[in-house]
Amino acid sequence: MKSTKVHLELLVGKEVHDSEGKRVGRLLSVTAERDGDDCVVREFLLGPAALLKRLGISTLHLVGFQRRKPVAVPWDQLDLSDPKRPRLRCRADELKGGKKERI
Amino acid sequence: MKRLDLVRDILDTQVTDREETKMGRVDGLVLELREGQPPRVVAIEMGFVVLVRRLHPRLGDWFLRLRRRVKVRKQACYSVPWSRVLDVTPFCVTLDVEAAETPAFDWECWLRDHIVAHLPGVAK
Amino acid sequence: MNMRKATQLALGIVTGVGGFFDIGNLATSAQAGASFRFQLLWALALGTILVIFLVEMSGRFAAVTRKALPDAIREHFGFSFWLVPFLVLTVVHFLVLASEIGGICFALHLVTGLPPAVWALPVAILTWLFLWRSIFSTIENSTSLLGLLTLGFVVAAVQHHPPSGELLAGMLPSLPHHDPAKYWLIAVGILGSVIAPYLFYFYSSGAVEDKWDPSYVGVNRGIAFLGMGFGSLIAFAAIVVAALVLAPRGIEVNDYHQAAMMLTDAFPFWGFILFAAIMAIACLGAGIEVSLSMAYTTAQTFGWNWGEDLNPREDARFCLTYTGAIFLSSLLILFGIDPLKLTIFTMAISAFVLPFVAIPFLLIMNDRKLLKEHANGWISNSVAAFLLVLSIVLAVVTIPLVFLGGG
Repeated sequence: MKSTKVHLELLVGKEVHDSEGKRVGRLLSVTAERDGDDCVVREFLLGPAALLKRLGISTLHLVGFQRRKPVAVPWDQLDLSDPKRPRLRCRADELKGGKKERI
Repeated sequence: MKRLDLVRDILDTQVTDREETKMGRVDGLVLELREGQPPRVVAIEMGFVVLVRRLHPRLGDWFLRLRRRVKVRKQACYSVPWSRVLDVTPFCVTLDVEAAETPAFDWECWLRDHIVAHLPGVAK
Repeated sequence: MNMRKATQLALGIVTGVGGFFDIGNLATSAQAGASFRFQLLWALALGTILVIFLVEMSGRFAAVTRKALPDAIREHFGFSFWLVPFLVLTVVHFLVLASEIGGICFALHLVTGLPPAVWALPVAILTWLFLWRSIFSTIENSTSLLGLLTLGFVVAAVQHHPPSGELLAGMLPSLPHHDPAKYWLIAVGILGSVIAPYLFYFYSSGAVEDKWDPSYVGVNRGIAFLGMGFGSLIAFAAIVVAALVLAPRGIEVNDYHQAAMMLTDAFPFWGFILFAAIMAIACLGAGIEVSLSMAYTTAQTFGWNWGEDLNPREDARFCLTYTGAIFLSSLLILFGIDPLKLTIFTMAISAFVLPFVAIPFLLIMNDRKLLKEHANGWISNSVAAFLLVLSIVLAVVTIPLVFLGGG
C-alpha cells in the first residue's frame, strides 16, 4: 500500500483552495478518532471561525464572527499530495451539500 | 472511541513520561497518508529544530547546521511512535517511556551532570 | 471557609501587601510626588484597579485549570502565536530584574558608600542562593513578611498629616501645570510599574506551585482585592511623602540619592537607613519573583520540568534559566548603568509591551471550554476591554514620551 508522511504542524494555517482554484479558507483544525493504538483523521476544519472554535471562545462575546461557520472537510476530500498547497478534491459549494461522514 | 482535535488537544501539549515527569511538548505530529484510507497519526515529534521549522523552513536548516557544532543531543528530533502514547488528557500527553532514557532529556541530563552537580548546596 | 483556606487568604494578603512595592513603584512614586505633588495619584488608583482584576483573573485561571498562564497559552494558541509575547516578556523580565538588582546595589551603596557596581556580583549571588536553596513557600513567606517593612512609608505619610482635600483632588485625572512630557512619562511609568507584565504571569505559576484548585476561587478574589488594594497604599504613601518632603524643597528626583531623603523628616535619626532597608528588601523580594517568573515562563513554553520545590538536579534547565538571568542582568549594573535611568526606561517599556502580553491572557480568560462557568463575565470583560484600549494607547505614546520626557 502506497503511503506518504506529512507534518501536521506545517499544514496548520495553510490556505486551502478548491478544485477550481477558489479560496476556501485556512487549515486550522483536524478532528481525529482514537481507537486503541490507532488515531485516525476524520475531518479537517477550515476558515477563520475554526480558530475561534479552537480557542473555545463563545461567539456571543465576539460580535461579527458568528455568521461564518467553520467548513468541515471529510478526510477523503482534501488532497495533501503537495503539503504546501492543500486542495479540495471538489468544489467548495459541493462540500456543503455533499455527504459528510458523521460519527 | 475517543474524539480528538489534533491541533487543540495534541499539538503544543505538555508531554510527560510514565512517572509524570515533564519531558517537553508535542512540537510536531506526523500523519501517514494512505491510499483509500483515512490518514492516521504515526508519531509525535519533540525538539527545538521541529519548533523552529514551524516558523520558517530555512530557520530549521540553519539550526540543524548549528546543532552539528554543539553535540549534546544525540538526535535533532525525538520521534515517538503513536503506539507509545499511553493517554491524552486536558493536561498532558503521557508516553510509555522513562524521560531520562529518551533524547528529550539529553540537555537536561547534560546540564545536570556538567553544571548543576558542580554548584554548591544543591540539596534544599 | 476552613482553616487552611483562611491561612492561605491571610498569607496571600500579606504577600500582596509586602510584595507589592518594588523599585519601579519607588522610582515612579518618588518622581511623581517630587515633581507633581498629588497630581498623579489618579494614575496609581487606575493602575491598582486594573491590576486587581488582572491578578484575580490570573489566580482564577490557575485555580480552575491547574495550569499556569504561559503553559496554557502555548498549548491553546500554538507556538507561533505565543513566540512574540514570550520574547517580549523575556526582555521585560530581564530589564526589570536588572532594575531590582540595581535597587539593592544602590541601597547598599547608600549605607556603605561603595559604588553600586561593586555590589552587583555579591547581590546576584545572594539572590541566586535564595532561589537555589529555598522552596517556594519559604520564598513567598519570607519576602512578603520582610516586605512589610515598606509600611514605613505609610507611617511616614500619616505623620506628615497630608491635606485630605488635595489627596482626593489628586485621585481625579488632571492636566499638568508644567512639564507635560515629564508628567505623562511618569504617569505611563506608574502604570507600567503597577500593571507589571510579569506579575500576573508569575501569580498563576505561584498558584500552581501552591496547588490551588477550583475551591480557591474565593480565596483568590480576597487576595487580589485586599492584597493588591492594601499593597497599593504603600505606593500611595510614597507619593504623599515625596510630595510633602521633596517637592517643598524643590528636589526633583533625577537620582536615587535625592529620593533617599524621603523618610528623614518622619524618622530623623534612622530615616536614611530605613529607606535603604526598604529599598533593599523590596527589590530583593521583587528580584527573586522576577527571576522565578522568567524561569517559569521559559520552562513552561518549552515543556521542561519545573518547580521551585524540586531539587535543582530534577529541573536543571529551569534552575539554570534563573541562574543565567540573574548573573547576566547583574552585568548591566556591574558595567555602571545608572539604576534610576534604567528603572524609568524599564517601566516605560513595561507599559509599551502590555498589549502583547495582555491580549493572549484576556483571550484565554474567555475560553469557556477551558474555564466553564469561571470564564470572564461582563464585568471582567469590560475591565479587560478598557485595559486593552489603555494598553494600546500606552504602547503608542510611550516611546515618544521617553525621548521628550527626558527619561
